[in-house]
Amino acid sequence: MKLALRELRRRPNRFAVAGAILTLIALLLMFLGGLLDGLERGSTGALRLQDADAIVFAEGAEASLVRSRIGEDVRSAVATVVGEEGVGGLGSVQLGARLDGRGPRDLVPTVLLGYELAPRGLPAEPPAAGEVVADASLRREGVEEGSVLRLGPARSEVRVIGFVDDSQYAGQGSLWGSLETWREVLAANRPGARAGEGTVQALVVRAPEGEGAGLTDAVDEATGGATDSYTITEAIDALPGLSQQRSVFNQIIGVTIVIAIVVVALFFALLTVERTGLYGVLKALGASSGTVFAGVVLQAVVVTAGAVAIGIAAALALDAVIPAGSIPFTITPPRLVTSALSLLVAAVVGCAFSLRRVLRIDPAAAIGGAQ
Amino acid sequence: MYLALREMRRAKTRFGLLVSAVGLLVFLILTQQALQDGLITSFVGAIRQQSAPVLVYSTDGQKTLQGSVIPPPLEEVIRAVDGVGAAGRIGQGTFTVLVEGDGATSDAAVIGAEDAGLGGVRDIDEGRPAEAPGEAVGSAADFSVGDRVRIVPVGVREGEGPELEVVGVVAEGQLQVTPTLFTSYADYEAAARAANPDAAGILPNVIGLRPAGDTTAAELAEAVNATSEDAEALTREQAATETPGVGQVRQSFQVIFLLYGLVIPLVTGLFFLIVTFQKSASLTLLRAVGVESGTLVRSLLVQVVVVVGGGLLIGTALHWPLSQQTVGAIVLRFDPVAVAVWSLLLLALGLLSALVAARRVLRIDPIEATTGGGGR
Repeated sequence: MKLALRELRRRPNRFAVAGAILTLIALLLMFLGGLLDGLERGSTGALRLQDADAIVFAEGAEASLVRSRIGEDVRSAVATVVGEEGVGGLGSVQLGARLDGRGPRDLVPTVLLGYELAPRGLPAEPPAAGEVVADASLRREGVEEGSVLRLGPARSEVRVIGFVDDSQYAGQGSLWGSLETWREVLAANRPGARAGEGTVQALVVRAPEGEGAGLTDAVDEATGGATDSYTITEAIDALPGLSQQRSVFNQIIGVTIVIAIVVVALFFALLTVERTGLYGVLKALGASSGTVFAGVVLQAVVVTAGAVAIGIAAALALDAVIPAGSIPFTITPPRLVTSALSLLVAAVVGCAFSLRRVLRIDPAAAIGGAQ
Repeated sequence: MYLALREMRRAKTRFGLLVSAVGLLVFLILTQQALQDGLITSFVGAIRQQSAPVLVYSTDGQKTLQGSVIPPPLEEVIRAVDGVGAAGRIGQGTFTVLVEGDGATSDAAVIGAEDAGLGGVRDIDEGRPAEAPGEAVGSAADFSVGDRVRIVPVGVREGEGPELEVVGVVAEGQLQVTPTLFTSYADYEAAARAANPDAAGILPNVIGLRPAGDTTAAELAEAVNATSEDAEALTREQAATETPGVGQVRQSFQVIFLLYGLVIPLVTGLFFLIVTFQKSASLTLLRAVGVESGTLVRSLLVQVVVVVGGGLLIGTALHWPLSQQTVGAIVLRFDPVAVAVWSLLLLALGLLSALVAARRVLRIDPIEATTGGGGR
């Protein structure tokens, strides 16, 4: 072990290129993971924020807020399951927002959401008509408390009265207001999508304490099949393209980890070949194959750990320099930890390719017995 | 040459691992290239395939078909711009549909054009253009000629949506990674009204323009933009490339390509550098018995070409079956040009990466064979 570490200290150049390759692979893993997290975070915040047990869409809406329409009759049917106080309407409309101080073509992309049952972090009572709580990401666009945004071609005015974290939807900063505000803005800017009085796009449902199990089935049964109900997790997974996106990224990340294994295997196999004589001498002096192999593994782990550390620093730097609104890249501690652990495991697995060669080294050959 | 190949045959594991690593990297690069191309095509293919040379969005629409709404006063202003040869309304909506014979509903983007020459499909791949009411041209990846597609009015009690018959299909004709139907504006209006009985009026999403006389599409777009700050006119190609999300997709993949592109020459370079170190005694001996440096360098380069070439073959062979698949709604395809470009680039990078090892070979002094220095 000591010998392995000493070699690393004495001859760092020997490991530098392998370290550089592993650093690039670490950065790749974190970048791919950060992209996946950024894409998911940007499109699911409004759903993750819901303090509810289920989201109810009209049957056939494919979990799309824009295509779903729920009338008062369906709402009443849902209320028979959880009571009136457990049901709240939800509506959305994506609109460009004009903000003082920006050019006439420089609009802020936003999505206005009308709610009744407050998601986490939002006031229990929805803001008054014409007032909204904005997603914190909109601060980067110059939106402040008190800012007046003019939404859509009708320039419908809404005033920002506060902020809420991590509530983006469809990649855009959200604005949370009352259903009344949403209905008014929708009708003024999207006459073709106008929602009649009492009509909402979806229902957010809270079950009484301990009665959440089987809620979605109960709701769909109560509405006679007029609804498709999802738990919050199911609704997130049902967002168009989300699960495919996740699956594709995870496959790419998986193959990249396999590449890391092959790179470590290749590099340490070459080193083992080069040091066959040295290992023979060590064995002749009494070192076991296990000790010799542990040294190889230790070197691989140390080199990989160094690469991971640099990769993390590079990923954080990347996160800091990527301009807001360009690449949807988000670095999260779980992603960094997962990437680091995956690479360290890959390093150990990669080293296993050298195990057979280490076991085959004959100490007698090292002291001339083979001659 | 003979020695180079013989050495590779003798050290199968070492060279096999390297070829595998390069092959996996090539596979990932080609697959991600296909994903990028497929994603962008599925995102904006319909915009490229539609016939209007200029598309005018509302500024509020931020260059997306579904986000843009053209109110009547703005439409009047656009139609009155100098250089407009013809103008036509284009509407777009995403609806839940039921294809006859399918058990379950699915999504479809419906693009309706008032004038088929301004928002219809430019070139049909199979079948014929939509001519009569109730006819549509579908994206080839999702529809076949003869399909009957009914719009399902979601959440409308006892609602009945119009039916469209697919009379032609167009390749790479999707919008927003969704099955797409090109039809008349009247059919689009009927679909939109059926889907939302509360609709106060169906407004066009964009206005398609054809330039008059010698005016170019770019000049017409500029003229429209100079006329009203509420209008955002783009040529067909601009509309495709400037759609929000397309730039982000390109930027993200460029970073990924750059990182993978750096890993390949580094892995190859490191491998040959270590191997050259390990056999420096043999190389010194070869030099001492009269073998030219150039011969040894050529042997090294042959190995690099065989390794990178082998990796390219493996990577392409792995990529081929995958490129025939559809990932979700994204249609992948095997792009021989992309394969050729990446092959040349990676081969060049591989050879470049072997320069350090080659320099070491060139520095070998044959006299060291007599002093034992070559073994160091």
